[in-house]
Amino acid sequence: MKRKRYAIVFDTKKCLNCKACTVACKFENYVPVGDDSYRLWVTEMPLEGRFPVLRQEFRPSQCQHCENAPCEKVCPTGATFRTAEGVVLIDYDKCILCKACMAACPYDARFVSKKHDAVEKCTFCMHRVSEGREPACVETCPVRVREFGDLNDPDSTVSRLLNQRAYYQLKPEKNTRPRLFYLK
Amino acid sequence: MTNQNNSLSHIFRVNKDIPAMPFIACGAALLLVGLIGVIRVLVYGQEAVYGVTRQVPWGLLIATYAYFVITSTGLAFIGGLGHAFNVQPFARIGKRIVLLAFIILLAGFTQIGMEIGHPFRLMYLFILSPNFSAPIVWMGIFYGIELFLLSIELYLIFVKSPKNHALSAATAFLTLMVGVAATSNLGFVFGSLTARPFYHGIYFPTFLVVSGIAGGCAILLLIHNIIYRFNIPDELSRTMSGLSKLMGLCIGAMLFLSAWKIISSLYTAPAEAYEAATALLSGPLAINFWCGEIIFALLLPLAMLLMSRGKNFMIMGAAGLFFMIGMFFTRYDFIVAGQLHPMRAGNAGSHVDVLNGLVHYAPSSGEWMIFALGLGLFFFFYFLAERFIALEPE
Amino acid sequence: MKENKKISRRKFLGLSAGAVAGLAFSPSIPTLFAASKKTYDYSILPAGKREYIASNCAMCVNKCGIIAEVVNGRLHKLNPNPEHIKSRGMLCAKGNAGAALPYSPDRLKTPLLRTGERGEGKWKEISWDEAFKYIAKNLADLKQKYENRSTVAFASTEGFQEEFYYYLVNSFGSLNTVRHTTLCLASNIQGWSSVFGVFPDADLLNAEYVIMLGADRAQSLITPDSVNFQRYKPEGQKLIVIDPRFTVTASKADRWYPIKPRTDQGFVLAMINVIIKEGLYNRQFVESYTHGFKDLEKMVQDYTPQWAEKKCEIPAAEIVKTAREFAAHAPRSVIYPGRRSSFYSHEVYVRRTFAILAAICGCWDTKGGVVPRSSIKLNTPEVSFPFFMQTRDRVDKESTDLLKDVVPSSVMCPMIGTGLPEDSCSFLSERDGSWLTFREAVLNDTPYPVKGFFCFKQNPMQSVPNTTKTIAMLKKMDFICVIDMQMSDTAWYADIVLPHTSYLEGWDPATGISGINPLVEFRQPVIKPLFDTKTMFEISGGIIREMLNIPSLWDDIEPDDLKNFKEDVVEGILNRPIQEYIKTQVSNYPGALEKLMNNGFFTVESKKPTYGATRTPGFRFKTKTGKIEILNERYKEFGLFPLPKYCEPKNFVQKSGTYRFLVGRTAWNTQTTTQNIPYLWEIEKENAVWINPGEAGKLGIVSGDYVWIKSRVGKQRIKALVTEKIRPDCVFYSNGWGRRSPWLSRVYKSGASEAEIIEDVLDSISGGTCLHETFVSITKA
Ligand SMILES: Nc1nc2c(c(=O)[nH]1)N[C@H]1C(S)=C(S)[C@@H](COP(=O)(O)OP(=O)(O)OC[C@H]3O[C@@H](n4cnc5c(=O)[nH]c(N)nc54)[C@H](O)[C@@H]3O)O[C@H]1N2
Ligand SMILES: Nc1nc2c(c(=O)[nH]1)N[C@H]1C(S)=C(S)[C@@H](COP(=O)(O)OP(=O)(O)OC[C@H]3O[C@@H](n4cnc5c(=O)[nH]c(N)nc54)[C@H](O)[C@@H]3O)O[C@H]1N2
Ligand code: SF4
Ligand code: SF4
Ligand code: SF4
Ligand code: SF4
Ligand code: SF4
Ligand SMILES: [Mo]
Repeated sequence: MKRKRYAIVFDTKKCLNCKACTVACKFENYVPVGDDSYRLWVTEMPLEGRFPVLRQEFRPSQCQHCENAPCEKVCPTGATFRTAEGVVLIDYDKCILCKACMAACPYDARFVSKKHDAVEKCTFCMHRVSEGREPACVETCPVRVREFGDLNDPDSTVSRLLNQRAYYQLKPEKNTRPRLFYLK
Repeated sequence: MTNQNNSLSHIFRVNKDIPAMPFIACGAALLLVGLIGVIRVLVYGQEAVYGVTRQVPWGLLIATYAYFVITSTGLAFIGGLGHAFNVQPFARIGKRIVLLAFIILLAGFTQIGMEIGHPFRLMYLFILSPNFSAPIVWMGIFYGIELFLLSIELYLIFVKSPKNHALSAATAFLTLMVGVAATSNLGFVFGSLTARPFYHGIYFPTFLVVSGIAGGCAILLLIHNIIYRFNIPDELSRTMSGLSKLMGLCIGAMLFLSAWKIISSLYTAPAEAYEAATALLSGPLAINFWCGEIIFALLLPLAMLLMSRGKNFMIMGAAGLFFMIGMFFTRYDFIVAGQLHPMRAGNAGSHVDVLNGLVHYAPSSGEWMIFALGLGLFFFFYFLAERFIALEPE
Repeated sequence: MKENKKISRRKFLGLSAGAVAGLAFSPSIPTLFAASKKTYDYSILPAGKREYIASNCAMCVNKCGIIAEVVNGRLHKLNPNPEHIKSRGMLCAKGNAGAALPYSPDRLKTPLLRTGERGEGKWKEISWDEAFKYIAKNLADLKQKYENRSTVAFASTEGFQEEFYYYLVNSFGSLNTVRHTTLCLASNIQGWSSVFGVFPDADLLNAEYVIMLGADRAQSLITPDSVNFQRYKPEGQKLIVIDPRFTVTASKADRWYPIKPRTDQGFVLAMINVIIKEGLYNRQFVESYTHGFKDLEKMVQDYTPQWAEKKCEIPAAEIVKTAREFAAHAPRSVIYPGRRSSFYSHEVYVRRTFAILAAICGCWDTKGGVVPRSSIKLNTPEVSFPFFMQTRDRVDKESTDLLKDVVPSSVMCPMIGTGLPEDSCSFLSERDGSWLTFREAVLNDTPYPVKGFFCFKQNPMQSVPNTTKTIAMLKKMDFICVIDMQMSDTAWYADIVLPHTSYLEGWDPATGISGINPLVEFRQPVIKPLFDTKTMFEISGGIIREMLNIPSLWDDIEPDDLKNFKEDVVEGILNRPIQEYIKTQVSNYPGALEKLMNNGFFTVESKKPTYGATRTPGFRFKTKTGKIEILNERYKEFGLFPLPKYCEPKNFVQKSGTYRFLVGRTAWNTQTTTQNIPYLWEIEKENAVWINPGEAGKLGIVSGDYVWIKSRVGKQRIKALVTEKIRPDCVFYSNGWGRRSPWLSRVYKSGASEAEIIEDVLDSISGGTCLHETFVSITKA
């Protein structure tokens, strides 16, 4: 069997900015309430146009699970590592809280966790995925902005979406090769 | 036994002439403040006590860490010139140099020790599971070796016969090399951050090495003025003028490097570097930059050094003082400026609070207290040593 | 905290086992590392018993399906129920935040008796026994003193337990009940029903063309619509959003028209004008099913797009285009009924006009149109309550013209000579009452004094406009009891506060949810109750049992009545476990109970959407003529315009420097219920008033400034948000802020309250409230 390559594909055009995903992630992952304490965020993109012709999009994001992950490279203890499926995780027991990874992450995906006394970030909800369940943010969304799946499986929803539609990624110039894809 | 006693008595003595007491007292007071800071951190946790944020994870303590350790390696460099390359004027004050370098390095370690969330974890994980692609690991290794080498130098200079030149010279040479490696690698700790273009390139490692040497000179000029109550004996005139020349040279290089760094940041593509540069020139860091970096660290000391014509030691001392103050801003600004550009725009929902496109950082009282710990350690132990250990030039 | 930390800490299971295995298969170091990573233990939940329990959300009206994840008896998370046919696998921010509700330190945990002055915040904890006795005694005293059971009023908002609240109401025998309906959708129900006899749903799943006027499905979440309108949107469906604000819904629209508020009726009348003039309407449908088309044809002649352009400030060409498109896609065209219609004094006519547009295009009871709801009938025990002699008719029924004096000129519509239609409350639904009329009647002691006030799951201090009057109303009371989960602003002014069990800790009866896809839901406890709280079922039982100990409470009924009541209601239902009641309710459907237990809901095959039951010859609509009434015969009888004549105040000009205040929602808060929940509070920590940049410039206001918003009835201080998203003549901020209860610690006095500044304007036909008839001025604070 081929090794899995997990990814999330976003259809941001549908996003309602309802914040269901942000709250779901907090409960699912014991992320405490706090201004700097969040694994995902939903940004209101700038309002375009002038009254009465206006346009606005909302863009959720989280750790990009970079294939070429700057956070992993700078982590002195190997606390940050990539699984075989390409999911970037942190071994909280190995984190010395040097915060190099936070400085290195071009997406501001990481934060100091009160809960773990270590740096934390999105885990792709691997504890759910390993049980055959979807990540919490994927599951709870009223409009299903996110799809999670295996890029190595050509029949997976993520593969199909990426085949059918044009997409972009965030900060390609950083050469991080994110595993988050945004449909155009 | 007797031999050792002899050597010890050779080391220890009370130096009544040196005005050490006020500095020891001041150091003790700062240490006390620092200890209160440490206790606050232990009780309330770093998050509550420090002002660093998710967007600006590295703040004052990284700056003060750099401030101390780079000055230390600068000193080691000068010491190396003295002992390894036999530059006599510097070799003469070798004891002071090595001791200063050692204590200042320790002061730096207090900063990083308090800045890192799990310093004890660090100690065993660096051995158990080091990630050699991480510059921080090399930083740990280099500075670890540096500390070790400085200890050996201390041992050689004070305990062993000071005349053990060959070994002394070899260690001094190694210290110099490792110091340069450590400092430039520290530059790479920042330079390797793809997310922060302002840090990129060869500039920072070079700048750190050069400014470290200047810092070493500056602190030596300053310290000697203090020790001799602004009346440095003529026998040290070659040393002093040597230091001032070296320092002037380094400041010149710094001016050159800074100018090109700023200019290239303003002209190159990544918005981040441009914004960092404008933050320095006209943004939230402008006062720091123009007053602290440009005037205090560069123009004023350079002017004073020129004014002193290699003769007026007092002016040199003052130049050293200004430079050390300015150097603090230089370190701080560099660390902070590189992080002010947010990793995503400060739109609603992004959780990023921006003013004119930049995030905000201001050190908290807790961070200042830890800085006080480092300063206190330096003042207290160094002047204690001046008071009770024979450090005068040979 | 500590405990969690230990459990969730990640560990390499296999540094030993995994590494050894890695070595055995391959000698290379990288594989060794990979192997050790493969054996990584991902679990973050505490070890122990994990359960998944199905139930339904109660954080807002929608009742979406939840699967509670409970670990060692503690609720870890609420997950959406993917099979739920109404919520269709979604759970919103509020629904997720519900998981924090039971554990909130701000909950009411035990009955509280007031010891200081009202509103002073001095409370004594008492036992439920004491509470029940105290309440029964007060009820007896009130009855004794006023010799009128209706002197005690009962306010409530919908919810599964409301049924049992009415056990209490009916056991005491008051007719004065007020529900949320007249604050919410009374005019909508009235308007659509005046045409079709019922209030329909929109078939968004099959519509080709959707016009939403004054509804915000992206933020004001209504399932299944909020799921359907983006996630299951059929290919090519067009969405036209008409709203003075650029809402999130508007941002999803193909076209957005920032209509001048209060003129929607003009827009739709002009559409009707175009459709009729161009012969685009459904002639056959009109002829077979409707009444009064000819009159309509005549009436709309003057309502040209050019005329409407002046009213609505939407170009005539756009109106024509929209009309043609709507007709072209009919019957798969939806003019969206929406939900909240507590907008304007003529709102019934607005909604009537919507309904008539649907009618003439034949977009009725057909795929992709508006469709009457169906429902699943339950075997709910029919209980009869005693007939009490000392019961008088509702106060709002007898005092409908009280509000006339306070109607501002801005809302005067020449429907009938002078202003508002005369015979207003005639259309109110008995239980719902009319909140504003009710309050006015209480304030005037007309037709009789109301001296006792019960409040269940409602917070009129914030949800009924003009708080000053609500406080005055409460001041008139001899006795106030509030049943809530938190110290609401209303509870803060009560004499006794009863803590209600959260929806995650108790049983709720089976309840039918009608719709295009009807279903039946219930709730079961997902965790054990954490505090000394009770459900309304238990509270009603407790109070009624105490009432039975007081003979004076039963002296105005037939002895037989009392006996039957004791047997049927008290012994038969309240004294038995509620589970038995639920069993009876669903006893007609084999396997239903199991489905409820396993999935939280059930539905029946026969209720799969079928269209056209009402489109059969001879079908009688619930209207006077039995037809779809474009011309409403009953309105004619009551002296109201029978046709949807355009209603607007005479010679009204908006004073310069004043702004129409608009009401709307954010997706992460429910009314005034959820703002204090930390997980939602951190999304929005205080509300802000939307001001158009042009106006803000004139006022010298930039985003972040604090301003005073002032109306005729109150003023509030609030942060400004300068945005192009709103018309220059309007301002807006969201509901649920600027709270009066200090126990809502996070939002106490933070931001601005809507109710404090909105004027109390009545829609006299439906008895509804008009929340958009207030003009405010703004000054920098
Ligand atoms: N997240 C969330 N969801 C909810 C609720 C909640 O509190 N929070 N509450 C639920 C309840 S009880 C209800 S009733 C519904 C309400 O949901 P909706 O029926 O969608 O009503 P609102 O969102 O209150 O108001 C709709 C829009 O009308 C606009 N509007 C104001 N005046 C005019 C006008 O003159 N013309 C037009 N065309 N538009 C106008 C407002 O700007 C607002 O955007 O939401 C339900 N869903
Ligand atoms: N200014 C303004 N006024 C409005 C609206 C508006 O948008 N702006 N919207 C209108 C509309 S559409 C509606 S539907 C109404 C809604 O208005 P209300 O019906 O008053 O609803 P809420 O304001 O949410 O208050 C509900 C109260 O019930 C409590 N509660 C929640 N769950 C339970 C429970 O299970 N048991 C018990 N006992 N209590 C519970 C909550 O803590 C809260 O105090 O407001 C209307 N009024
Ligand atoms: S987004 Fe940031 S934290 Fe995530 S993998 Fe990339 S660099 Fe690392
Ligand atoms: S903070 Fe922790 S995870 Fe991040 S680089 Fe340092 S040790 Fe690695
Ligand atoms: S995948 Fe899981 S951890 Fe990552 S953002 Fe979504 S819910 Fe949070
Ligand atoms: S849950 Fe879905 S619609 Fe809501 S904010 Fe998140 S991605 Fe957007
Ligand atoms: S819309 Fe949200 S709050 Fe309302 S019932 Fe559904 S999940 Fe619960
Ligand atoms: Mo409502």
